Amino acid sequence: MAIAERTAGTISPPDIHARPGWAGWLSTTDHKRIGIMYLVSAFIFFLIGGIEALLMRIQLGTPDNTFLTPDVYNQMFTMHGTTMVFLAVMPLNVGLGNYIVPLMIGARDMAFPRLNALSIWLFIIGGLMLYVSFFAGGAPNVGWFAYAPLTQKQFAPSAGVDYWIIGIGLTGVASIAGALNFIVTILNMRAPGMTLSRMPLFVWMQLVVAFILIFAFPVLTVATIQLLFDRHFGTRFFLPAQGGDAVLWQHLFWFFGHPEVYILILPTMGIISEVLPTFSRKPIFGYAFVAYSGVAIGFLGFLVWAHHMFAVGLGPLANAFFGAASFLIAVPTGVKIFNWLATMWQGSLNLTTAMHYAIGFISMFVIGGISGITLASPPINVQQTDSYYVVAHMHYVLFGGAIQGIFAGVFYWFPKMTGRMLDERLGKWQFWLMLISFNLTFFPMHLSGNEGMPRRIYTYEAGMGWELWNLLSTIGSLLLAVAVLLFLWNMLTSLRRGAIAPADPWDGATLEWAVSSPPPSYNFAVVPTVQSRRPLWDRKYPHLHESHDPGEESMERLGAVMHDAAETEPPIPAGAIHMPSPTYAPLILALGIMVLGFGIIYLGDLGLAAAAAMLVGLLVMAGGIVSWVRISHVDSPHHAH
Amino acid sequence: MNQKQLGYLFEIAWILPSVAVPIAFLVAIVITAFAVGISVPGEAGRVDPKTLNTTAPFDKPGLRELAPGRYEAVITAQLFNFTPGELEIPAGSKVTFIVTSRDVIHGYKVENTPINMMIVPGQISRMTTTFDQPGEYYVYCHEYCGGGHHLMAGKIIVTPAQSASSGR
Repeated sequence: MAIAERTAGTISPPDIHARPGWAGWLSTTDHKRIGIMYLVSAFIFFLIGGIEALLMRIQLGTPDNTFLTPDVYNQMFTMHGTTMVFLAVMPLNVGLGNYIVPLMIGARDMAFPRLNALSIWLFIIGGLMLYVSFFAGGAPNVGWFAYAPLTQKQFAPSAGVDYWIIGIGLTGVASIAGALNFIVTILNMRAPGMTLSRMPLFVWMQLVVAFILIFAFPVLTVATIQLLFDRHFGTRFFLPAQGGDAVLWQHLFWFFGHPEVYILILPTMGIISEVLPTFSRKPIFGYAFVAYSGVAIGFLGFLVWAHHMFAVGLGPLANAFFGAASFLIAVPTGVKIFNWLATMWQGSLNLTTAMHYAIGFISMFVIGGISGITLASPPINVQQTDSYYVVAHMHYVLFGGAIQGIFAGVFYWFPKMTGRMLDERLGKWQFWLMLISFNLTFFPMHLSGNEGMPRRIYTYEAGMGWELWNLLSTIGSLLLAVAVLLFLWNMLTSLRRGAIAPADPWDGATLEWAVSSPPPSYNFAVVPTVQSRRPLWDRKYPHLHESHDPGEESMERLGAVMHDAAETEPPIPAGAIHMPSPTYAPLILALGIMVLGFGIIYLGDLGLAAAAAMLVGLLVMAGGIVSWVRISHVDSPHHAH
Repeated sequence: MNQKQLGYLFEIAWILPSVAVPIAFLVAIVITAFAVGISVPGEAGRVDPKTLNTTAPFDKPGLRELAPGRYEAVITAQLFNFTPGELEIPAGSKVTFIVTSRDVIHGYKVENTPINMMIVPGQISRMTTTFDQPGEYYVYCHEYCGGGHHLMAGKIIVTPAQSASSGR
């Protein structure tokens, strides 16, 4: 790959880095533009998933309510779960990683820019296909966990489940390709001097998540393909009435599903590990522990899947093992939390909005973590399984944790991405409103859960003792929507009228702050050399060689005095740095896969017509691949010379 | 006290409780399992969901008295009810629930008791508990099973103990 070259001076064809207007976005291979596309599309899906949640909360606000029909309600909670996991939190993390990771490690792009473009298009198309189901006979209504045999044709006859299978399949391919891209980029393209032990923690967590992804996601893909064959082609993997096994699906799903939780939370832990040191104005406490506890979480995450299945009746031995393994995960998680607290301890805190969100993350995540530890105990879990207590627990982890972490990251990096500052005052209002309304929404669910309210019920009778808690949750959720709208307003107005962001608004320590906001398409005119974990603090404060970290040579900092900004960022003549050319090939390939997907969905029902669609899809894919290979040839450094 | 000692004290003050909490949880598990006798559901056997109507004991679902104060409740779950939906038991009896499903996965949760089982087609779930307090115990399906999931409920009526000796 041409892009892997670290030295400037390869002369590229005069064309250049982007086509104007919409064409520039549709044909881009720039990791920064792809990152922004991830963030924008995932934020739109986040808003849609939020609207689905609001509809459910309105339905549940009062007993015996008929605001929605049972079927629509069931579609809503299925789509809410699927959307928030696959189409919102995951891609928001990928988007931040896509934009920031190459900048943090001093690279000019991802290792495989065209594969990166394929990932974003497959993600967007997969998400849209999932939503097409609303107009094709009804969205899936089997829950995001899709327990067999409810997903079989006889119980779920609409095409919704098929759209779910294909939509999840496409975003899965996008994620696996993206994960490989992250792994190769992070392992091969770090700036000189940036050893693994000097790598920013956000990059560490993205690396761990990429490895989790390539081990976990294929399991889901295989299970959903088996399900597709069960539904259409006469197999019976998950059909107990014909010798299949319904529990097999649960094992396969949760073998993916539990590591998925860490796929959602670990990148946000990485964000927190960047935001806290910057705004505490001191280095992260216990860098190695924070990094390796992330690795430990990733590893243990594969050993706990059956704690979602304690009520199945796996037997005391299996339950005891999975209970104990789930307890173990609390250890590396606790290590991280204590290191974050120690990072703030005696720091000179700068309470920006991003810092507010980082502290909000820690406090809410601890509550979700503690309810998680109680749930790890099989006897307690058996009492609370499928009650609202579990809903409370996972929203404390995934909203109080992951979403607040993502907001911390967005407030932190928005100036870098757009060249404009977000309104800090409005941001803090939004933070407090969100923190209060989040707790108002989800804390009462602990109580209604303990009062026995089961999950996924369309409505409930008056007099069960659940009315007050549900009403409070519904009021909280409406306020939560106001907080999200405040952010939307903040973002839209700041993009137009926000203060112009300098290159380094927060006095950051990592390399993304060394370049202008937003960065040039080639990121670094001269690839920097790194001498410590905090290359930018080395450059800005060469006299501060008193190291906080006993493991670090204090004198190294003196040697690290870098060239001043004018020297590292000289004006670059157009085309002096070889960047990957824009190309439509990944988009064409993704569209071909989409047509193929539609063909597969209707193959069982329509026969020949669907087969014809599959053939068209394959031809479009072939066209995409041919043009991909051709542009690779043009783009190769040997050709360019 | 200097900064270093203060920091050390804070570390200890936080780390010790966080070690103590998981240990307390583990002790609680051991006590509930061995002293209180709360158990987790276990698979009690397999059954072909297609031939439930001709397979004992599910051919005759219902409550059977095995011995004085000792009962067995054979129950099938299906979209969207339990057979039988209502049981009447004298207070103080020990009941073993033997449950399976005819179609999709259901749940069988009896409020205010340890009974909470996932009911899987093809699998028999079994749990035992004692009903000491008279009253009505609400039973519901806790595992999402489709459009009528919220309607899938039943009841266990625990009658005062003397009526058991005089009545049946």
